[in-house]
Amino acid sequence: MLGKLIKYEIKATVRLFLPLYAALLLFSLINRFVNPFAINEPVNINLQMILRIISMTAYYILLVGTLVMTLVIMIQRFYKNLLGDEGYLMFTLPVKTWQHIISKLLVSMMWTIVSFAVAVSSIIIIANIGNLTNKLAEMIKAVRNFTGDTAFFLIPVFALMGIAFYTVMIYAAIALGHLFQKHKIIASFGMFCVLYFIYQLCAVIVLIILAGPVIGAITPSWEPTQHQISVFLLSFLILSGALTAVNFAVTNTILHKRLNLE
Amino acid sequence: MNNIILECRNLTKIFGTVKALDNVTLSIPRGKIVGLLGPNASGKTTFIKLCNQLLTPNEGEILIGGMKPGIETKKIVSYLPEKNYLNEWMKVSDIINLFSDFYADFNTEKAYDMLKNLDIRPKDKLKSMSKGTKEKVQLILVMSREAQLYLLDEPIGGVDPAARDYILDTILGNYNENATIIISTHIISDIEKILDEVIFIREGRIVLTNTVDEIREEYGKSVDSLFREVFKC
Amino acid sequence: MHWDIKTDRPIYTQLIEQIQLKICSGVYPPGSRLPSVRDLAREASVNPNTMQRALAELEEAGLLYTHRTSGRFVTEDTDMIKHVKNSLAEKHVQEFLKKMIELGFDSSEIMSIISEMMKREGDET
Repeated sequence: MLGKLIKYEIKATVRLFLPLYAALLLFSLINRFVNPFAINEPVNINLQMILRIISMTAYYILLVGTLVMTLVIMIQRFYKNLLGDEGYLMFTLPVKTWQHIISKLLVSMMWTIVSFAVAVSSIIIIANIGNLTNKLAEMIKAVRNFTGDTAFFLIPVFALMGIAFYTVMIYAAIALGHLFQKHKIIASFGMFCVLYFIYQLCAVIVLIILAGPVIGAITPSWEPTQHQISVFLLSFLILSGALTAVNFAVTNTILHKRLNLE
Repeated sequence: MNNIILECRNLTKIFGTVKALDNVTLSIPRGKIVGLLGPNASGKTTFIKLCNQLLTPNEGEILIGGMKPGIETKKIVSYLPEKNYLNEWMKVSDIINLFSDFYADFNTEKAYDMLKNLDIRPKDKLKSMSKGTKEKVQLILVMSREAQLYLLDEPIGGVDPAARDYILDTILGNYNENATIIISTHIISDIEKILDEVIFIREGRIVLTNTVDEIREEYGKSVDSLFREVFKC
Repeated sequence: MHWDIKTDRPIYTQLIEQIQLKICSGVYPPGSRLPSVRDLAREASVNPNTMQRALAELEEAGLLYTHRTSGRFVTEDTDMIKHVKNSLAEKHVQEFLKKMIELGFDSSEIMSIISEMMKREGDET
């Protein structure tokens, strides 16, 4: 059943994302063609310049738009499909509540990653970097030298966890907002602030615990050791993992035991 | 198999300060067509939504086929809500695929037959359809399941008399004979002939339950006229 | 086929009467097979259980019989159908007479009204 839910979730969202990605990549190609970064070339105020400005503006709008849309669609799919009128169908399907949440979460994470990848690709297209693979490899190598192997492999896990963490926090905020009789949307915003505050509080506590042993070492010229970087990443991985689990449980309990579609 | 398909005890649902359902206790056997009759805002929709786990009761419990509402009851309950729950971007064939993917008791062939009878093309997008057509698509989806309990919330509410006849005919022609159908409505005259039993509900309370023929025998009048008397303002 | 269900009396008694009528008038000839309960119910737009109840009562009275595998049939006993026909006729006439007496006619007046009307109808056709 989870597989089927994921299939329909992808079907419902793919038609929104694909045109957006196509437009973004198209405009980055156009921009590369009209070469907006060649500012040192002598230009007159003429048609060519106007064209550049227009295509550049369109590109930026699309770039920001893609990232904003990723967030908006994530929220909208959860709110409208589960807690709006479509919820009447979703919640009468013989499917467990956690499967609804997981399917939405996984598909939303997938789109976040794809959106990010498309945005980066569009920048690479415009920047017109020669010898791209070598430069990327160099960059990766530099990062790895700085962080050490353990932390280096933790970075993608950390990033994935981060996406999941924020997504589930938004779900939990919407679910908590749903408990209110009135002004559910405002309540959801409020709940997001509360959850975010709780997270910050936990983060500060973790930082204090972590910083304790090395507090004397922190000076303006202090550079963390590779070991310290991995401990830091791992601690925050565990923290966000734990909070994600709690937020997930909150969302699941509310949707399962306290659902009130009006 | 237990002969009671739906049972509820002391069911209460409160919205803010309003008791939408007030201590309702009833049991409905299998193989019946039951009318849940009451004016607007009497608690009909609340009751049906509670049975579908779309609302959480404040007190009391519901058993469907002996089970509390959950994944197992959703497999045997076919629900027609009073609002449009279809995903607007889908084609009719998409939503049929969705139903047959999730409901083991969905009869795809039957659904396509009914669509054909109504001249609804499977490739049409739901977005482009009128409200009435969407309602018909929903009814077709719901009646194409071979469920044990059908919960139909105001199936004839917003449609013209000709469509009403078609809907009643669809219900009579497609339900499984051991199944029970609960139809909530405030329009009774057209529907009372197809009912076994009626439940009158007012301000969240059950005021009368009886069979249609006993009401006619006892009061010498139709359920419709009795309803008008009981609920006159 | 037309089914006429009035609002003030139990539905199953009306169904019994109308099936009797259909049998007497030959819509369902003696020995013929009746449609299934479900189809009859759908045709009359009534509840299948109510239709079932009406058929069960007609069966009890002997006007219908069930063959274990092939369904429900109209009796082949034409005398019995005739009998039902007569009792239906009696019932209608009784109702008619009751109303005429209420209107203040006596039996000879009623007879003359009837014969005059029948003569007129005969002329028209």
